[in-house]
Order: sequence, then C-alpha cells, then structure tokens
Amino acid sequence: MSLGFTIVKRLAHMVFVMFGISVLVFLIFFATPGADPAARIAGRNASPQTVALIRKEFGLDKPLPVQYLRMMDRLVIRRDLTSYVNLGEKVVPTIFRAAPVTLSLVFGAAVIWIVFSILVGVLAAAFKDRTLDRLLMILSLIGISIPVFWLGEVVNLVSQGLLHNTWLFSWVPPLGYVPLHRDPALWFKSLVLPWFTLALAFIGIYGRVLRANIVEAMQEDYIRLARAKGLPEAQVLIRHALRCSMIAIFTLFGLDFGALVGGGALLTEVVFGLPGVGYLTYQALTNLDLPMIMATVTYASFFVVSANAMVDILYSVFDPRVRND
Amino acid sequence: MNMLTGATGRVLLEARSVSKRFNVGSRIVPALRKTVHAVDGVSLQVVRGETLGIVGESGCGKSTLGRCLVRLHEVSEGEIIFEGRDITRLSRRALRPIRRKIQMVFQDPAASLNPRHRVRDVVAEPLIIHEFGTHSEIDARVVELLRVVGLSADHLERFPHEFSGGQRQRIGIARAIALEPDLVIADEPVSALDVSVQAQVVNLFQDLQERLGLTYIFIAHDLSVIRQVANRVAVMYLGSVVETGLTEAVFDHPAHPYTQALISAVPVPDPDRAHRGRRILLKGDVPNPAAPPSGCRFHPRCSYAQATCRDVRPALTRIGPHREVACHFPLV
Amino acid sequence: MTEATATDPAVPLLAVDNLRVSFRTARGTVRAVDGVSFRLGHREILGIVGESGSGKSVSLMAMMGLINDPNAVIEGSIKFQGRELIGLGAREMRRLRGGRIAMIFQDPMTALTPVYTVGRQIVEQLRLHTDLSTGAARNRAVELLEAVGIPGPKDVIDRYPHQLSGGMRQRVVIAMALSCNPALMLADEPTTALDVTVQAAILDLVRKLRKDFGSSVILVTHNMGVVAEIADKVAVMYAGRIVEHADTPTMFRTPWHPYTWGLLDSIPPISGARPRRLSSIQGAPPSLQRLPPGCSFAPRCQYRSRRCAVKPPMIGEPDHRVACVLEPGERREIVRKPAQQNDEIPS
Repeated sequence: MSLGFTIVKRLAHMVFVMFGISVLVFLIFFATPGADPAARIAGRNASPQTVALIRKEFGLDKPLPVQYLRMMDRLVIRRDLTSYVNLGEKVVPTIFRAAPVTLSLVFGAAVIWIVFSILVGVLAAAFKDRTLDRLLMILSLIGISIPVFWLGEVVNLVSQGLLHNTWLFSWVPPLGYVPLHRDPALWFKSLVLPWFTLALAFIGIYGRVLRANIVEAMQEDYIRLARAKGLPEAQVLIRHALRCSMIAIFTLFGLDFGALVGGGALLTEVVFGLPGVGYLTYQALTNLDLPMIMATVTYASFFVVSANAMVDILYSVFDPRVRND
Repeated sequence: MNMLTGATGRVLLEARSVSKRFNVGSRIVPALRKTVHAVDGVSLQVVRGETLGIVGESGCGKSTLGRCLVRLHEVSEGEIIFEGRDITRLSRRALRPIRRKIQMVFQDPAASLNPRHRVRDVVAEPLIIHEFGTHSEIDARVVELLRVVGLSADHLERFPHEFSGGQRQRIGIARAIALEPDLVIADEPVSALDVSVQAQVVNLFQDLQERLGLTYIFIAHDLSVIRQVANRVAVMYLGSVVETGLTEAVFDHPAHPYTQALISAVPVPDPDRAHRGRRILLKGDVPNPAAPPSGCRFHPRCSYAQATCRDVRPALTRIGPHREVACHFPLV
Repeated sequence: MTEATATDPAVPLLAVDNLRVSFRTARGTVRAVDGVSFRLGHREILGIVGESGSGKSVSLMAMMGLINDPNAVIEGSIKFQGRELIGLGAREMRRLRGGRIAMIFQDPMTALTPVYTVGRQIVEQLRLHTDLSTGAARNRAVELLEAVGIPGPKDVIDRYPHQLSGGMRQRVVIAMALSCNPALMLADEPTTALDVTVQAAILDLVRKLRKDFGSSVILVTHNMGVVAEIADKVAVMYAGRIVEHADTPTMFRTPWHPYTWGLLDSIPPISGARPRRLSSIQGAPPSLQRLPPGCSFAPRCQYRSRRCAVKPPMIGEPDHRVACVLEPGERREIVRKPAQQNDEIPS
C-alpha cells in the first residue's frame, strides 16, 4: 500500500481522536455534576439575568448532545463564541490572532533545536568517550537543567538591561511581537533570543537521545556492512547511523512540537511578552473565562493531534518499514 | 528406542484439525484485514514413549503448532486431546494440573531463563508453583535434577550467564523435567548450540527419554538432528503437514516432493558423497503465508506439479502403515 | 595503483602469516587469534571451520581491516596480492575494502540499512569505487541482481530490505559484494541464518560466482557439511589457532586432529544407519581468558597425554598440516577402532 494511503488513514485517525477530545473537554466543563455551567461561563459576580441569558444562549436546558453540537457549531462553524468575562470578546478570532505568535516562536525554536541537537549528537557519538563527547554531554545536561523562565529572565536582564548599550545586544528590540508581514527583519530580531531560550533544553535532551541512538546504531550489522563497502567513517556515521537514528527523534519531536504549539510555550511567551496562545490560556485560566478555556483547549488538542499526525506521516517517509504493505 | 508406534501404542496427545490464524493489517477496515493461517488444519498423534519430530523451514508453522499444543497460543479451530480429554477450551485453572504434565524446552536457553535467578531458583520454580513438597524436599529434588542433566550441586548458586550455552540448555531441561511430565515439547532446543555441544544435548534428550519414559515432540529445522532423535516425523510446509511417517522410511524414501528437496538440500560432510550438482533446487521462495498459492501449497515450486496441483488441494492421505502424504502424485 | 604483482601467479592472492589479534580487557589480554597462517590461491575457496570463540570471524575482520576497537592489537602479516595490509593507511584500506576485497555477513535480515532501497545501497558502493554515473551504476546494479539469481531485478532494485525474504536479502548482499569485481570475497557464516533449501541455493550461487567472477573465497562456517560441499581447502580452527589444514577430500577422508574427528562425529548422519548415540566432544569450547597452557583442546581430548602440556607445533606434510602431537602410527591405530562413546551421564 502506498504512502498516500498511509496518509489518508492517519488523517482519518486524527479526526477521530479530535472528536474524542472535544467530547471529553465538553463533558468536563458542561456535565460536571454539582456545577452550573451557565454560572461559570458568566464569570464571578454575574447578575442572574446574565446567567439566564447564557442558559438560553447555550441551550443548557436541552439534552447534552444538543448542547455539544451547539457548542461545536459556535466554536468551529460560526466561530462567534463570546467571552463573558472580557465582555463581548469573540474567542475564536482572538485565538487566531495569537496563533501566529506561538507558531513563529515554536517553529523557529524547533529549527534551532533540531539543527543543534543533530550537531551535538553526531559530534558526541563520533568522539564517543573522548573529551569532546564528555564536554557536550555535560553542557547538554546543564541545558536541560536550566528552567526556561529563569533563563528567559536572565537573557532579558542581559540583553535589555545590563549589556543593551554594548555592540553585543544593541540590535535587540524591546520585548513583544512584531508580525512577520509587517517587518520581517524586526520579526526575526525580536524572536532570536526567545527561540534560543526555548530551544536550549530541547537541544540538551535531543542531543543526548540522539547520541545514545547513534552509538547503538553503530553496533548494528548494517554499519559493519557499510564499513565493509569501503565507506569513509563520516559517511557511515551520517548516511547510515544518523539516518536510522533520526527515526526515534521524530517521535519525540512530534510530541514536543505539538505540546509547545498547543500552549506549552507559555512560560517563554510570558517572559518575553509574546501574546501567543500560551499567554492567552494563562489569562483565561486566571480569569476563569470558560468559553476561552474551551476554545484554547480545543485549539491545543487540534495542534497536538495534528502535529502527531504530521510526524507519523513524516515517519513513514523516513522509515519505509512502517508503511503498510 | 525400540518402541514402534502407530495404532499399537497409547495415544498421549492428539491434535485434530488444529488451525491457528493471526490477523494482520487493519483492525477497523475489514477489506484491509489479512488472515495468516500460521497453522492450517493439522492433525497429529503422539504416542506414549515416542519422539515425534516436526520439521520444516522457517515460517512453516512448526513453532506456532508447538505453542498451540501447550496452549501458549489459543487455537482458532480444532481440538487438542490430551490423555483422551479435550483440553482445547479448558479454563486456566482447569488446565493447571495438565500443564505440569506437558512441559516446554525453548531454543534460546539464555532468553528463557531469568538472568536474575540463580540456578536453584530456576529449577525449583515449577516445583514451588505446583506445590511439590516442603522446602527441603524441593532442595533435594533440585540437586537430583541437576545431577540427572549432567550438572552438579556446585552449580546451584550460580546465575545463568555464568554457564555456557550447552549448560544453560541443560538447566532448561532440568526445569522442564522437574515435575516428571509425560510430554516434553522441545522447540529448536539445540539450534543455538555449538556443533560439538549439540551432540551432547541430543544425547541427553535420548538418555532422559529412556530413563524417565518421556514422550517428546521435537521441533527443529535441522533434518539431521530430527533424523537422529525422532521415531516418527511430520514434515510441515506453509502451515500444513505434508508428510508423516517413520523416520527411516521418510528419510530413505520421501513421498512428498518437498520432503525430497529438503533432504537433498542438507549439506553432507563427505566430499565424495556431497551433493555437488545433483541436488534438487527449489524454485523461488516460500510464499507469503497471508496469500498462499491455490491448490497444493507447494505446486509453484514443485518440479513434478501438474494441472491438478494448481486447482485441487491434496489431503493428507494414508499410503502405508504409519505413512501419510498430502500429494496428488506421491513419489512412493 | 601499481599492481604488477596482482596477476603474477607465483604470488598467492592472500598470504597470512602468524596473524595474532588480541584485545586488552580489564581482566587481562585476550588472544582471539593466535598465530594463524595460510595461503589462498587464485579462484580458490577456503573453508574455515570452527565453533564460537575459535577466532574465525575475528580473523576475517582483521583481513578486512574492520577491527577498530582501540584495545585491539593486531600483529603478524596479511599480504594481499603481495601488499601488506597490516598497518596500511585507512584511506588505502578503504579503497580495497568493498573494491578488491568484499565481505558478506551472517545475518542477511539485519545486514542491510533498513531505510534505503537495495538499489541505492548497491549504487552507493559502485559510485564509491568506480567512475560510473548514477544511471550507469543503477544499470550495473540491475545486472548484478540478475547475476545472483534475483527474479525481476528491475523491480527488486527499488524495494526496501524488509520487503525481501532472508534468501533474497543474502543475494542482495552478495550482489553488493560482487559489484566491484573483488579478487577476494570473505564470507562470514553466509548461510547459517538461512533455511536449508535456501542455503543450498546460496552455496550453488557462490560456486557459480567463483566461475563467473573469478573471485577467491574464504568461507567461515561451523558447518562441516557446508565446507564439504563447497571448499577446495579446509582449515579447522580451535581457540584462536588453526589446528588442521588440508585440501577438502584429504580432510574428510583422513582427518588427523582429534578435534576434527569430534566435529565430524558429532554430526548426525542424514542417511545410512542411525547411531544409537552420537559421539560428542565432552565439555564446551574454552573461554579465551582461561586457555590451558599447551594444547588448548587437551582438556576435551580423549587422547590427551603428558605430551600435550606443550603447545603443539604445526607438523605433517605440505598439503596436510596438523597441530597435534599424535604420531602417524597412533592416529592410524585410533582411527581403526570405532569411535569411542563418551558417556557423561551418570546412570
């Protein structure tokens, strides 16, 4: 069976999972016994009229399946779900405004952490048990151990404060996000530091995992055959060992990427003042803004699941063995 | 080894049209589901005291069959009769007393022994599970068992990795015979061993049979080993038995073209009699068991195949005393 | 490359002299190969027989320059077409490897890189050692697959390893080995992981390829039957040493070393009378860390005597050599008697 079929199958699977997640999220918010969803949507100190209005608007006197469909209709099809906490704010467009920020942040960081972790993993494996290997492994351990919010604050302190007026950091724009289409150069400059901050821990983790995978792959029979062919060691390492080790990295990448786009980059966004989805979720949670939470959770699940689906599809491009045949 | 078999002996275990299917592919979309008949309608009898050899190449279903017989796999169809009793659908609990009468020895002694258990624990485990006796009775039994398989009490406190492959297989055998089973099913028990050690373990199997009156089902791909240990052989191809008979008869005058090709392929350690050139080379590979050929499963590779073989699947038919073959045009 | 000696028939294709490979370990030095010497002529097939730990595979890896364990010490001489391989630069060795000297391995299921098509893997090697363009290399790969008896090579070339059976994969590995017309092919247990019918086909193939490609072959195996089928000469290895070396008919008609006797007797016959019991060699192959002084086989040998306390030198005739102290008369005496049964089961 072809690659195309694998992809279709994976997409169908993804739709199925997303349906399940949306039902689950809906049930948590609307069918929890002993809690009135209308009162929760209305927010704190809402008037009884508002609550009654909400009850009617969301059809809360109707059976649960109808409520679910109505909710999905407003969330996905009509996209006019409004927040009652932030009076009248339409939640879906808000998320659509926040998403590019998060995507910019996470995409850039992902490119950085993949490139650098390959570098770290390959070099460490090539110099296994020698000084360079040990050094890289210690550095990646340090990278993993540094909390991202602390690192972000330090980066800000240095680049915005202490050394901002030196040649080293004078190019750093003030905190915040500049859309790509408005000024690409500024977009890039404003994101470089957040990218590296977010990527650091992942470089550490991925570098270590990749090293371990390559070292293991180097024991395989096919590596012996590659050497027996007369391939130079560097080619054996990169074309054969690294290529096969990347498969494991992809699984990890799918999970991490999806989680970050779905709001996991919250801390980085907050520290660098980037109004992304994570930031939005954070605000919605502090305000107990139920429609907003509902929307961000659905958005997050969409990204986690679709990132996983993407990775599975990539997986079958990279590893012919998982294709159905 | 003087015991001739067949209708005269008492049947210990019988498989009646046993099939084992594995589903592969999609679990949701039926059109994408494929069924692999790993074992396809196998009927066999094992008579008390004999050694039945099951031989065939990888993927022929011999190991799956062995596992079905001890119910490590649940069979999809057919019955397994042990001592006249249908054990195919017995509950776990009801099966327990039967489990102690049927034991298995596996190919890789290193993988089938828990590396953290000392030899004492490995051998004692079945005795403890089946409540053989008091602590000291079990200890004494373990020492006795080790002696029987050619090890000594000095080995009790050691770990499996401290032993050579042959010794580990001896430990596996000691464990298998601990409860004085009636039937031992050995799945490729010597194929992971060095040649010189293989012979020792084959001898051990034969000695134990004589001393303890064991019945064996000996599963192997090595035809020479099967010929040495078995009274009777069943040759399997793509999930089915294609030929059964007394060992000498089958090896000297194979009735099925597959058996003939298999035997002719064995390299002979004698350059004067080596097959250089006059061996029957089979065409192609073993077909995919998920899409077996029509008619006789062997026909695409058979040099004797005729039109009938493509369409009609031959049944296992009696062609002589103790002799059955599934072929439209048997060679004897 | 100037290879004036390459075609000189007086120079053997391969001359191995006193090859020793040892590994430094935490528990002292382990000598895996201990003074192996032999010559291999053009178009000759040498079978090396031995059990685990006999040093047969390590010897092959040394010839291939593939021992890259920093704790390994390789001594002695390996002359390929008159050229010393031990101490040869990495670049030079790489040029030979996969080019003039090719190797095939035991387990075809794991020998090919799983993520590339077989065609790509063959082309990779061709491009490395020849000037062929990618397109020409691909055509050559199709020819090679056809030469090793793969049906539908044009189709198979774009398959991934996991889509092929074990026998087919081993043919692909062989095709790869042959791709640059090697003068020497090293085969490490090439049929052990295969079914007998497939093994027969692969052995036939090796025989045919010697004819078509003119390569010499060293085939390492534990199977005496395989050697009898295919080899011109046989070397029996035990604990890192060659203990007996002869041409194939001689080795099987009049074996001299007790270990060879044991090996031959442990194989259950496939025809003729069935022995009631197999005669077996007692004990197990020794650990290389705890080799006995003198003859390594002595502890397992039925015919050991005080003479065995000294390392036995290679003696005998030019084309049949043995490392055993038994006198020709003693050997004849022992062989005349039926093989003794050594019963180690107390009854």
